[in-house]
Amino acid sequence: MVVNLLPGPGRWQLLAVYLLLATPPLRDWLEAGMVMHMLVQLPLLAGLGVLAVRRLPARLRNRLDRCNAAGVPLTLLALFAIAFWMLPRSLDAALNQPAMELAKFVSLPLLVGAPLALSWRRLPAVGRGFLWSNLLSMLVVLGWLYSAAPVRVCTNYLVDQQQLLGRGLLLLALGLALWLAGQVLFGDSPRRAAQATG
Amino acid sequence: MTDTYVTTNMTAHDRTPIPVLACLATAGAVVLLMMVFGLLLRLAQGGMLDLAPDTFYELLTLHGAGMVGIAALGSVAVMWYFLGQYVRLSGAVFVANLVLFLVGVVMILASVLFGGFAGAWTFLYPLPAQPMGVWSAHAAALFVGGLLVIGTGFLLLYLDVARAILGRYGSLGRALGWPQLFGHDDGRAPPVAVVASTMVLIINTIGITTGAAILVMTLVNLYVPAFGIDPLLAKNMTYFFGHVFINATIYMAVIAVYEILPRYTGRPWKSSKVVLAAWNASVIMVMTNYPHHLLMDFAMPEWALVAGQVISYASGLPVLVVTVIGALTNVHRSGMRWDLASGLLLLSVFGWGAGVIPAIIDATVVINQVMHNTLWVPGHFHTYLLLGMLPMVLGFMYFLARGGRPTDAAGAERGIDRIGFWVFAVAGLGFVLAFLAGGRAGAPRRYAEHLAQWLPYDRAGALFAALVLAATLVFVARFLLRLGSARGRVA
Repeated sequence: MVVNLLPGPGRWQLLAVYLLLATPPLRDWLEAGMVMHMLVQLPLLAGLGVLAVRRLPARLRNRLDRCNAAGVPLTLLALFAIAFWMLPRSLDAALNQPAMELAKFVSLPLLVGAPLALSWRRLPAVGRGFLWSNLLSMLVVLGWLYSAAPVRVCTNYLVDQQQLLGRGLLLLALGLALWLAGQVLFGDSPRRAAQATG
Repeated sequence: MTDTYVTTNMTAHDRTPIPVLACLATAGAVVLLMMVFGLLLRLAQGGMLDLAPDTFYELLTLHGAGMVGIAALGSVAVMWYFLGQYVRLSGAVFVANLVLFLVGVVMILASVLFGGFAGAWTFLYPLPAQPMGVWSAHAAALFVGGLLVIGTGFLLLYLDVARAILGRYGSLGRALGWPQLFGHDDGRAPPVAVVASTMVLIINTIGITTGAAILVMTLVNLYVPAFGIDPLLAKNMTYFFGHVFINATIYMAVIAVYEILPRYTGRPWKSSKVVLAAWNASVIMVMTNYPHHLLMDFAMPEWALVAGQVISYASGLPVLVVTVIGALTNVHRSGMRWDLASGLLLLSVFGWGAGVIPAIIDATVVINQVMHNTLWVPGHFHTYLLLGMLPMVLGFMYFLARGGRPTDAAGAERGIDRIGFWVFAVAGLGFVLAFLAGGRAGAPRRYAEHLAQWLPYDRAGALFAALVLAATLVFVARFLLRLGSARGRVA
């Protein structure tokens, strides 16, 4: 049924990637380390939600847009879902309980990726900028939290894993900051930029 | 000639936006209150007022945080007013910034006056979390939270500035004049107000984002002390944020010099290659010279300290020299009419230029080791804030009070304004020299009590502070009384 909602040539590939991520060998490999779990598997699942939205029928998108004024409601939904999966105990629960693992695989595309994709262009430019700034500063804070935590925060991972994740988050913040700087410094033509910043 | 120039450049505001006037009125009122606090501090150090040490440090915290806050509020009004003549800015975001600023101020006032927080505006780790029982974690959190709220407001405002500039120029590189700087100068470089605003939005967005991170880390540490922060990392992040934020106030306020003086002289201030190169260089230099705040931290990598000294030496030159020489050549033999606005703006150029000299001296490693914890440091930053940034904002206020037209007879100043100007200039100079001389004599800064041999400097400083306060009272009162003219038609 979900597949029927997604017309276009890419739907089977999307479904294949989704199932591939769920298959035990790849899933176990991605969840074996905290860095791969948080910085690869979770973003990939959310990314599938983003790609799925691009294949939604226009009529369905319009209906969703009507209950997503200025992109705020669905952005808030995505932020709350992200906040939940940022908690170390949520990661632990996903590894220990099949029901939570299923919830992770369902909620990240549906409650994070898809809502963000539906909302992003509808958010005012200042709102998008604020989300980027907040993401950067929170990546730094999380990087510090995981590096400085005096205890193991996940029972499934050792301290060296969380410290590695901390450094990974700091590197991610740096990389994102440089990418953003490149975007705004070298940017677009004034006409296209005016449309984007409308 | 002058009127033609004014007309061709004024596109957005027929009347001064009320939020700009509200910002300036707020800044004027708060600067007076903070000056009173500063006077009390100097009187206490001079032994002429009996202040309990905890009260002294509470006032010091309020004076620092308040002055930095209103410096930002006043100068952002200057930037927003002039930038708004070239790009389409959002009034709602500007108002949101003002509201968030006031909310943050209330939180800070509550943390200090009711919670007893006295950890200075720099909230340097681990002081907020280790007050030896003087204040609670909640009071420190309220202070830190207040700064976060204020920072959020300014971040929103800069994001709106970025939106507007990107919408008009496509990229920040174009808004910084890169095509003209690195290619053929076709004479179509963005106005200096746009270049300066772009420079400020880049450095301050990075600074505020860094500040938000260390503020949240401080909040976590306040309630879960087990999450310790590397003190050197905390100091780097805190001083990067603080250094960039306070420097940005001058770079925003100086737009008044670039925009208003040419209206008096009739000589447009062009975005030449030299001007563009200077502002572009400052983007990097302001963000990389901050280690001059950490020259006493032996654990810092040596290369960072050396870079801090070398870049500090170089960083004063580009914009400062371009602005000082540019201002002097702009007014030289222009036959311009002198009034309070133009006088204050030229004084501000002197104050900014003069303030850099003791700053560069203090940025020298071997001198810093002796002078950094003395009154020399407040001496140098009061020079370019009191005699540089503040007259820029005051000059802008007088400019508006004359209806934004240098040639208008309406709203012309009276004798009391001119007396105020000279009292402000002379007493301001005396005030900062008292700090610098005290520093030279070894008087420590941030001490509630001073030895007998330091008292003459403190007392001279207190006397000059009272005179500066009186002159500023005249300026602010005159602006408030002429709000109608300031609101009136500009172009």
